[in-house]
Amino acid sequence: MDKIQLHQNPLFREELIRDYLLKRLDADEAEAFESHYLFCDECFEELRASQSLMTGLGQSKLELRRVQDMLVLQFAGPAQLTRQSFELTELRRALQQKDTKVLIDLSRVTKIDSAGLGQLIACYSHVVKNQGTVKLLNPTAKVQTLLRLTRIDSVLETYYDERQAFESFNST
Amino acid sequence: MEIDPDVLGRYRLKLRYKVCYHLGSSCPDVEDVVQETLIRFLRALREEKIRNPDSTAAFLSGICNNVIQEYRRRVWKEPLSDPDSGPAERAEAPEVDVFELRQAIAVAMTQLSQRDQDILRAFFLEERDKDEICRSMGCSDGQFRVALFRAKERFRRIYQEALKQKPPGGH
Repeated sequence: MDKIQLHQNPLFREELIRDYLLKRLDADEAEAFESHYLFCDECFEELRASQSLMTGLGQSKLELRRVQDMLVLQFAGPAQLTRQSFELTELRRALQQKDTKVLIDLSRVTKIDSAGLGQLIACYSHVVKNQGTVKLLNPTAKVQTLLRLTRIDSVLETYYDERQAFESFNST
Repeated sequence: MEIDPDVLGRYRLKLRYKVCYHLGSSCPDVEDVVQETLIRFLRALREEKIRNPDSTAAFLSGICNNVIQEYRRRVWKEPLSDPDSGPAERAEAPEVDVFELRQAIAVAMTQLSQRDQDILRAFFLEERDKDEICRSMGCSDGQFRVALFRAKERFRRIYQEALKQKPPGGH
Protein backbone atom coordinates (compact mmCIF):
# COMPACT_ATOMS: atom_id res chain seq x y z
CA MET A 1 0.00 0.00 0.00
CA ASP A 2 1.42 3.34 -1.05
CA LYS A 3 1.12 5.56 2.04
CA ILE A 4 2.24 8.67 0.19
CA GLN A 5 -0.43 8.23 -2.45
CA LEU A 6 -2.93 7.51 0.31
CA HIS A 7 -2.40 10.99 1.73
CA GLN A 8 -1.78 12.90 -1.48
CA ASN A 9 -4.49 11.40 -3.65
CA PRO A 10 -7.91 11.63 -1.93
CA LEU A 11 -9.63 9.65 -4.69
CA PHE A 12 -7.15 6.79 -4.37
CA ARG A 13 -7.78 6.74 -0.61
CA GLU A 14 -11.52 6.85 -1.14
CA GLU A 15 -11.41 3.87 -3.50
CA LEU A 16 -9.25 1.95 -1.03
CA ILE A 17 -11.67 2.74 1.82
CA ARG A 18 -14.66 1.76 -0.31
CA ASP A 19 -13.05 -1.55 -1.24
CA TYR A 20 -12.09 -2.18 2.39
CA LEU A 21 -15.64 -1.53 3.60
CA LEU A 22 -17.06 -3.74 0.86
CA LYS A 23 -14.49 -6.42 1.80
CA ARG A 24 -13.03 -6.38 -1.69
CA LEU A 25 -9.38 -6.09 -0.59
CA ASP A 26 -7.29 -9.22 -0.33
CA ALA A 27 -6.01 -10.20 3.12
CA ASP A 28 -2.63 -8.52 2.68
CA GLU A 29 -4.10 -5.24 1.44
CA ALA A 30 -6.66 -5.19 4.24
CA GLU A 31 -3.97 -5.90 6.82
CA ALA A 32 -1.76 -3.12 5.42
CA PHE A 33 -4.62 -0.63 5.57
CA GLU A 34 -5.55 -1.69 9.12
CA SER A 35 -1.96 -1.32 10.27
CA HIS A 36 -1.98 2.14 8.74
CA TYR A 37 -5.23 3.44 10.22
CA LEU A 38 -4.37 2.13 13.68
CA PHE A 39 -1.76 4.87 13.78
CA CYS A 40 -3.22 7.42 11.38
CA ASP A 41 -6.11 9.46 12.81
CA GLU A 42 -6.75 11.19 9.50
CA CYS A 43 -7.31 7.98 7.56
CA PHE A 44 -9.36 6.51 10.39
CA GLU A 45 -11.67 9.54 10.34
CA GLU A 46 -12.01 9.22 6.58
CA LEU A 47 -12.87 5.57 7.03
CA ARG A 48 -15.58 6.32 9.59
CA ALA A 49 -17.01 9.14 7.50
CA SER A 50 -17.17 6.89 4.43
CA GLN A 51 -18.84 4.17 6.45
CA SER A 52 -21.51 6.64 7.65
CA LEU A 53 -21.98 7.86 4.11
CA MET A 54 -22.35 4.33 2.77
CA THR A 55 -24.84 3.52 5.51
CA GLY A 56 -26.82 6.60 4.53
CA LEU A 57 -26.73 5.73 0.86
CA GLY A 58 -27.92 2.22 1.64
CA GLN A 59 -30.75 3.43 3.82
CA SER A 60 -34.26 3.07 2.62
CA LYS A 61 -36.35 6.00 1.71
CA LEU A 62 -39.65 4.21 1.88
CA GLU A 63 -42.34 6.78 2.42
CA LEU A 64 -45.82 5.97 3.61
CA ARG A 65 -48.59 8.23 2.36
CA ARG A 66 -52.28 7.97 3.07
CA VAL A 67 -54.86 9.02 0.53
CA GLN A 68 -58.31 8.61 2.13
CA ASP A 69 -58.34 4.95 3.20
CA MET A 70 -55.52 3.93 0.86
CA LEU A 71 -51.89 3.43 1.79
CA VAL A 72 -49.31 4.41 -0.79
CA LEU A 73 -45.77 3.09 -0.36
CA GLN A 74 -43.13 4.81 -2.42
CA PHE A 75 -39.37 5.12 -2.44
CA ALA A 76 -38.06 8.67 -2.39
CA GLY A 77 -34.80 7.64 -4.06
CA PRO A 78 -33.46 4.81 -6.20
CA ALA A 79 -34.14 1.55 -4.38
CA GLN A 80 -33.32 -2.11 -4.79
CA LEU A 81 -35.64 -4.89 -3.69
CA THR A 82 -33.00 -7.55 -3.38
CA ARG A 83 -32.14 -10.17 -0.78
CA GLN A 84 -29.59 -8.05 1.07
CA SER A 85 -31.26 -4.68 0.66
CA PHE A 86 -32.49 -2.55 3.51
CA GLU A 87 -35.47 -1.54 1.35
CA LEU A 88 -36.76 -5.11 1.41
CA THR A 89 -36.80 -5.07 5.20
CA GLU A 90 -38.52 -1.70 5.18
CA LEU A 91 -41.21 -2.95 2.83
CA ARG A 92 -41.75 -5.97 5.06
CA ARG A 93 -42.10 -3.77 8.14
CA ALA A 94 -44.41 -1.28 6.46
CA LEU A 95 -47.10 -3.86 6.00
CA GLN A 96 -47.51 -4.97 9.56
CA GLN A 97 -50.52 -2.72 9.91
CA LYS A 98 -54.06 -3.64 9.00
CA ASP A 99 -54.25 -1.88 5.68
CA THR A 100 -56.66 -3.19 3.07
CA LYS A 101 -55.94 -0.89 0.13
CA VAL A 102 -52.25 -0.75 -0.61
CA LEU A 103 -50.56 0.78 -3.61
CA ILE A 104 -46.84 0.10 -4.02
CA ASP A 105 -45.09 2.64 -6.22
CA LEU A 106 -42.20 0.85 -7.96
CA SER A 107 -41.07 3.78 -10.10
CA ARG A 108 -37.78 4.18 -8.15
CA VAL A 109 -37.05 0.46 -7.87
CA THR A 110 -34.05 -0.09 -10.10
CA LYS A 111 -33.44 -3.73 -9.29
CA ILE A 112 -35.53 -6.60 -8.03
CA ASP A 113 -34.63 -10.25 -7.48
CA SER A 114 -36.50 -13.37 -6.37
CA ALA A 115 -36.48 -12.15 -2.75
CA GLY A 116 -38.03 -8.85 -3.85
CA LEU A 117 -40.66 -10.58 -5.96
CA GLY A 118 -41.35 -12.92 -3.05
CA GLN A 119 -41.82 -9.93 -0.79
CA LEU A 120 -44.36 -8.40 -3.15
CA ILE A 121 -46.32 -11.66 -3.03
CA ALA A 122 -45.94 -11.76 0.77
CA CYS A 123 -47.37 -8.22 0.92
CA TYR A 124 -50.24 -9.33 -1.29
CA SER A 125 -50.97 -12.42 0.87
CA HIS A 126 -50.82 -10.34 4.02
CA VAL A 127 -53.33 -7.79 2.75
CA VAL A 128 -55.62 -10.40 1.18
CA LYS A 129 -55.89 -12.07 4.57
CA ASN A 130 -57.39 -8.80 5.79
CA GLN A 131 -59.88 -8.86 2.87
CA GLY A 132 -57.86 -6.23 1.06
CA THR A 133 -55.75 -5.93 -2.06
CA VAL A 134 -52.34 -4.70 -3.23
CA LYS A 135 -51.72 -2.97 -6.54
CA LEU A 136 -48.55 -1.79 -8.22
CA LEU A 137 -47.80 1.58 -9.71
CA ASN A 138 -45.30 2.56 -12.40
CA PRO A 139 -42.80 -0.30 -12.42
CA THR A 140 -39.75 0.38 -14.57
CA ALA A 141 -39.46 -1.59 -17.81
CA LYS A 142 -36.94 -3.96 -16.24
CA VAL A 143 -39.14 -4.70 -13.23
CA GLN A 144 -42.23 -4.95 -15.45
CA THR A 145 -40.49 -7.62 -17.55
CA LEU A 146 -39.75 -9.69 -14.47
CA LEU A 147 -43.31 -9.29 -13.21
CA ARG A 148 -44.56 -10.57 -16.56
CA LEU A 149 -42.09 -13.47 -16.81
CA THR A 150 -42.96 -14.68 -13.35
CA ARG A 151 -46.67 -14.05 -14.00
CA ILE A 152 -46.90 -11.97 -10.87
CA ASP A 153 -48.61 -9.32 -12.97
CA SER A 154 -51.60 -11.65 -13.24
CA VAL A 155 -52.01 -11.49 -9.45
CA LEU A 156 -50.95 -7.92 -8.78
CA GLU A 157 -52.72 -5.36 -10.92
CA THR A 158 -50.37 -2.78 -12.37
CA TYR A 159 -51.21 0.85 -13.11
CA TYR A 160 -49.28 3.63 -14.77
CA ASP A 161 -51.46 6.44 -13.55
CA GLU A 162 -51.93 7.12 -9.85
CA ARG A 163 -55.44 8.54 -10.22
CA GLN A 164 -56.59 5.45 -12.12
CA ALA A 165 -55.07 3.24 -9.44
CA PHE A 166 -56.97 5.12 -6.72
CA GLU A 167 -60.22 4.87 -8.68
CA SER A 168 -59.74 1.14 -9.14
CA PHE A 169 -59.60 0.68 -5.37
CA ASN A 170 -62.84 2.56 -4.93
CA SER A 171 -64.62 0.70 -7.70
CA THR A 172 -63.89 -2.74 -6.21
CA MET B 1 8.17 2.55 27.52
CA GLU B 2 5.21 4.66 28.71
CA ILE B 3 2.09 5.27 26.67
CA ASP B 4 -0.13 8.33 26.84
CA PRO B 5 -3.71 7.55 28.06
CA ASP B 6 -5.17 9.55 25.13
CA VAL B 7 -3.14 7.52 22.66
CA LEU B 8 -4.29 4.35 24.37
CA GLY B 9 -7.92 5.56 24.08
CA ARG B 10 -7.46 6.07 20.34
CA TYR B 11 -5.92 2.62 19.93
CA ARG B 12 -8.88 1.16 21.77
CA LEU B 13 -11.35 2.91 19.48
CA LYS B 14 -9.56 1.82 16.33
CA LEU B 15 -9.02 -1.72 17.53
CA ARG B 16 -12.70 -1.91 18.34
CA TYR B 17 -13.44 -0.89 14.78
CA LYS B 18 -11.06 -3.52 13.39
CA VAL B 19 -12.49 -6.25 15.62
CA CYS B 20 -16.07 -5.32 14.66
CA TYR B 21 -15.03 -5.39 11.02
CA HIS B 22 -13.78 -8.97 11.37
CA LEU B 23 -16.19 -10.41 13.93
CA GLY B 24 -19.29 -8.29 13.22
CA SER B 25 -20.62 -5.47 15.38
CA SER B 26 -23.16 -7.77 17.05
CA CYS B 27 -20.39 -10.00 18.44
CA PRO B 28 -20.84 -9.89 22.23
CA ASP B 29 -17.12 -10.27 22.93
CA VAL B 30 -15.69 -7.35 20.98
CA GLU B 31 -14.59 -5.55 24.14
CA ASP B 32 -12.88 -8.66 25.48
CA VAL B 33 -10.92 -9.12 22.24
CA VAL B 34 -9.86 -5.46 22.26
CA GLN B 35 -8.85 -5.64 25.92
CA GLU B 36 -6.80 -8.79 25.41
CA THR B 37 -5.06 -7.17 22.42
CA LEU B 38 -4.15 -4.10 24.45
CA ILE B 39 -2.90 -6.16 27.39
CA ARG B 40 -0.56 -8.13 25.11
CA PHE B 41 0.55 -4.95 23.36
CA LEU B 42 1.35 -3.14 26.62
CA ARG B 43 3.16 -6.20 27.92
CA ALA B 44 5.28 -6.31 24.75
CA LEU B 45 6.06 -2.61 25.15
CA ARG B 46 7.09 -3.08 28.77
CA GLU B 47 9.30 -6.01 27.88
CA GLU B 48 10.76 -3.96 25.01
CA LYS B 49 9.89 -6.57 22.42
CA ILE B 50 9.22 -3.90 19.78
CA ARG B 51 12.70 -2.98 18.63
CA ASN B 52 11.75 -1.05 15.51
CA PRO B 53 9.29 1.79 16.32
CA ASP B 54 8.26 1.94 12.64
CA SER B 55 6.78 -1.52 12.91
CA THR B 56 4.67 -0.74 16.01
CA ALA B 57 1.47 -0.39 13.93
CA ALA B 58 1.97 -3.71 12.18
CA PHE B 59 2.87 -5.27 15.53
CA LEU B 60 -0.35 -4.07 17.20
CA SER B 61 -2.42 -5.13 14.20
CA GLY B 62 -0.72 -8.53 14.24
CA ILE B 63 -1.50 -9.04 17.94
CA CYS B 64 -5.13 -8.15 17.22
CA ASN B 65 -5.24 -10.67 14.35
CA ASN B 66 -3.91 -13.37 16.66
CA VAL B 67 -6.48 -12.61 19.35
CA ILE B 68 -9.26 -12.64 16.75
CA GLN B 69 -8.05 -16.00 15.43
CA GLU B 70 -7.88 -17.45 18.93
CA TYR B 71 -11.37 -16.16 19.66
CA ARG B 72 -12.73 -17.73 16.46
CA ARG B 73 -11.14 -21.06 17.30
CA ARG B 74 -12.55 -20.94 20.83
CA VAL B 75 -16.05 -20.07 19.67
CA TRP B 76 -15.85 -22.76 16.99
CA LYS B 77 -14.91 -25.37 19.60
CA GLU B 78 -17.26 -24.20 22.34
CA PRO B 79 -20.22 -22.50 20.68
CA LEU B 80 -22.58 -23.16 23.57
CA SER B 81 -20.15 -23.34 26.47
CA ASP B 82 -21.58 -20.33 28.27
CA PRO B 83 -25.26 -20.01 27.44
CA ASP B 84 -26.02 -17.86 30.50
CA SER B 85 -23.53 -15.12 29.78
CA GLY B 86 -26.26 -12.89 28.34
CA PRO B 87 -24.76 -11.94 24.98
CA ALA B 88 -28.00 -10.34 23.76
CA GLU B 89 -28.03 -8.00 26.73
CA ARG B 90 -24.42 -7.03 26.22
CA ALA B 91 -24.98 -6.44 22.52
CA GLU B 92 -27.79 -4.00 23.18
CA ALA B 93 -25.74 -0.85 23.66
CA PRO B 94 -24.06 -0.86 20.23
CA GLU B 95 -27.50 -1.38 18.64
CA VAL B 96 -28.77 1.78 20.33
CA ASP B 97 -25.69 3.65 19.12
CA VAL B 98 -26.26 2.41 15.60
CA PHE B 99 -29.88 3.53 15.71
CA GLU B 100 -28.93 7.03 16.86
CA LEU B 101 -26.22 7.22 14.25
CA ARG B 102 -28.67 6.12 11.58
CA GLN B 103 -30.99 8.95 12.56
CA ALA B 104 -28.16 11.48 12.18
CA ILE B 105 -27.18 9.91 8.88
CA ALA B 106 -30.76 10.04 7.60
CA VAL B 107 -30.89 13.78 8.36
CA ALA B 108 -27.57 14.34 6.58
CA MET B 109 -28.81 12.40 3.55
CA THR B 110 -31.69 14.83 3.14
CA GLN B 111 -29.10 17.61 2.75
CA LEU B 112 -27.57 15.96 -0.32
CA SER B 113 -29.04 16.73 -3.71
CA GLN B 114 -30.55 13.85 -5.66
CA ARG B 115 -27.77 14.16 -8.26
CA ASP B 116 -25.08 13.95 -5.58
CA GLN B 117 -26.80 10.93 -4.07
CA ASP B 118 -26.91 9.20 -7.45
CA ILE B 119 -23.21 9.89 -8.02
CA LEU B 120 -22.27 8.63 -4.57
CA ARG B 121 -24.42 5.52 -4.85
CA ALA B 122 -22.77 4.67 -8.14
CA PHE B 123 -19.34 5.05 -6.55
CA PHE B 124 -19.86 3.44 -3.15
CA LEU B 125 -22.63 0.90 -3.65
CA GLU B 126 -22.41 -0.03 -7.31
CA GLU B 127 -18.59 0.09 -7.19
CA ARG B 128 -18.29 1.89 -10.50
CA ASP B 129 -15.12 3.82 -11.22
CA LYS B 130 -15.00 7.56 -11.50
CA ASP B 131 -14.59 7.75 -15.30
CA GLU B 132 -17.55 5.47 -15.92
CA ILE B 133 -19.75 7.49 -13.53
CA CYS B 134 -18.73 10.77 -15.15
CA ARG B 135 -19.48 9.36 -18.59
CA SER B 136 -22.88 7.91 -17.73
CA MET B 137 -24.07 10.83 -15.60
CA GLY B 138 -22.65 13.54 -17.78
CA CYS B 139 -20.62 15.17 -15.03
CA SER B 140 -17.05 16.43 -15.11
CA ASP B 141 -14.18 15.13 -13.03
CA GLY B 142 -14.45 18.30 -10.92
CA GLN B 143 -18.17 17.85 -10.30
CA PHE B 144 -17.58 14.26 -9.25
CA ARG B 145 -14.89 15.26 -6.77
CA VAL B 146 -16.99 18.11 -5.38
CA ALA B 147 -19.97 15.77 -4.84
CA LEU B 148 -17.77 13.17 -3.18
CA PHE B 149 -15.76 15.41 -0.89
CA ARG B 150 -18.65 17.73 0.02
CA ALA B 151 -20.62 14.68 1.16
CA LYS B 152 -17.61 13.29 2.98
CA GLU B 153 -17.23 16.57 4.87
CA ARG B 154 -20.85 16.39 6.08
CA PHE B 155 -20.48 12.81 7.21
CA ARG B 156 -17.12 13.51 8.86
CA ARG B 157 -18.89 16.09 11.03
CA ILE B 158 -21.57 13.53 11.97
CA TYR B 159 -18.91 11.07 13.01
CA GLN B 160 -17.03 13.69 15.03
CA GLU B 161 -20.25 14.80 16.77
CA ALA B 162 -21.09 11.17 17.54
CA LEU B 163 -17.63 10.74 19.06
CA LYS B 164 -18.07 13.79 21.28
CA GLN B 165 -21.36 12.47 22.64
CA LYS B 166 -20.13 8.95 23.37
CA PRO B 167 -17.43 7.46 25.55
CA PRO B 168 -14.23 6.47 23.71
CA GLY B 169 -15.29 2.83 23.62
CA GLY B 170 -18.24 3.47 21.23
CA HIS B 171 -18.01 1.90 17.78
